Amino acid sequence: MFEFFNQPEVIKTIVTIGSMMLFFIGLFGLLTRKNFIKIFMSIAIMETSIFLLFIGLTFKIDFVAPILDSAHLDAAMMNDPIPHAMILTAIVIGMAVLALGVSFAIEYFKLTGKTEIDEMNEMRH
Amino acid sequence: MSRRKINIKRELPTTTLSGFALSGLLVLTILNILLHNMPTKIQTAGDALLKLNATEGVANAVTTVIVFFRGLDTLGEIAVLFIASLGIGLMLHSNSKCNIKAESNFMLQTASKILFPVILLFGIYVMIYGHLSPGGGFQGGVIIASGVLLLLISHKAFEVPHSVIVALETFAGVSYVLIGLIGLLVLDVFLGNFLPHDISQMGLLLSGGIIPLIYIIVGIKVGSEMSMIVQNLIKRDHDV
Repeated sequence: MFEFFNQPEVIKTIVTIGSMMLFFIGLFGLLTRKNFIKIFMSIAIMETSIFLLFIGLTFKIDFVAPILDSAHLDAAMMNDPIPHAMILTAIVIGMAVLALGVSFAIEYFKLTGKTEIDEMNEMRH
Repeated sequence: MSRRKINIKRELPTTTLSGFALSGLLVLTILNILLHNMPTKIQTAGDALLKLNATEGVANAVTTVIVFFRGLDTLGEIAVLFIASLGIGLMLHSNSKCNIKAESNFMLQTASKILFPVILLFGIYVMIYGHLSPGGGFQGGVIIASGVLLLLISHKAFEVPHSVIVALETFAGVSYVLIGLIGLLVLDVFLGNFLPHDISQMGLLLSGGIIPLIYIIVGIKVGSEMSMIVQNLIKRDHDV
């Protein structure tokens, strides 16, 4: 029964649908939640969906990880290393952005005692 | 404790939800049409890089792409991480209120003493074997920072030594640029692989020329920066 899932089109469709659902869950949280920390969590969920899409779309059946060793000296049956490298970069940058945003939220809470974007009115006066 | 009154309109915005469902369906349809018409075998840049990979004598192709073919981008990425760490330090330095008020218990303190050397060793292993197995500098650095985080949440008086972090970060940043400049002098290419990298040595620990060296440097830098970030985010109050 698993032969059906071994077709590349089926796998790519599943990965696309799943990562798009994750992306829209994140976007929904980003637009509807009011808490700072929840907004940053939603951004992190959206980032994760993009990582999943990139890695999932370059996955090929019967292909191995791009590591040459004694069993796999041939580069023909290996996955593409470029998306992995790109996503590693993106994870690091996303982590840096998330940490900086959370530090902004912590400092804002310490200074004003507010956690929701509805209550931000310092610039109004 | 009174429960907050739940407003159905606020908790479940039906207009936004239906708009989301429609746009998601549209994107899915377009992507499915694109994927369905995609040829099964495409010659990508990754295939060319995989063929080139063996010339550097490094087993892990992802490491070669990150450190060698995109070495300058990795330098910029480390600069971005450094700027984020600097911003967090500046942002959280002025206010001396503590962020965590919970006390650690005896079990956490004992377990962290046993676990921290193991986590440190595993991080260094992942860092050093980054050119042979999955892993590398970024992953190893983050593992080491997670060990530091364990110490920070378990021991109240523990503080990351600032002078050591400054020395490690300066050493790592300067040596990355110095290795690149030596490559520029020897081979006329910035970050050129000037150390011996024979394909017959592939799979050994001492192989790949400058690539494992640069990944260890990246690991040192990422580990120290992440340790500083978690310490700034936690920031215990020592007076209480």
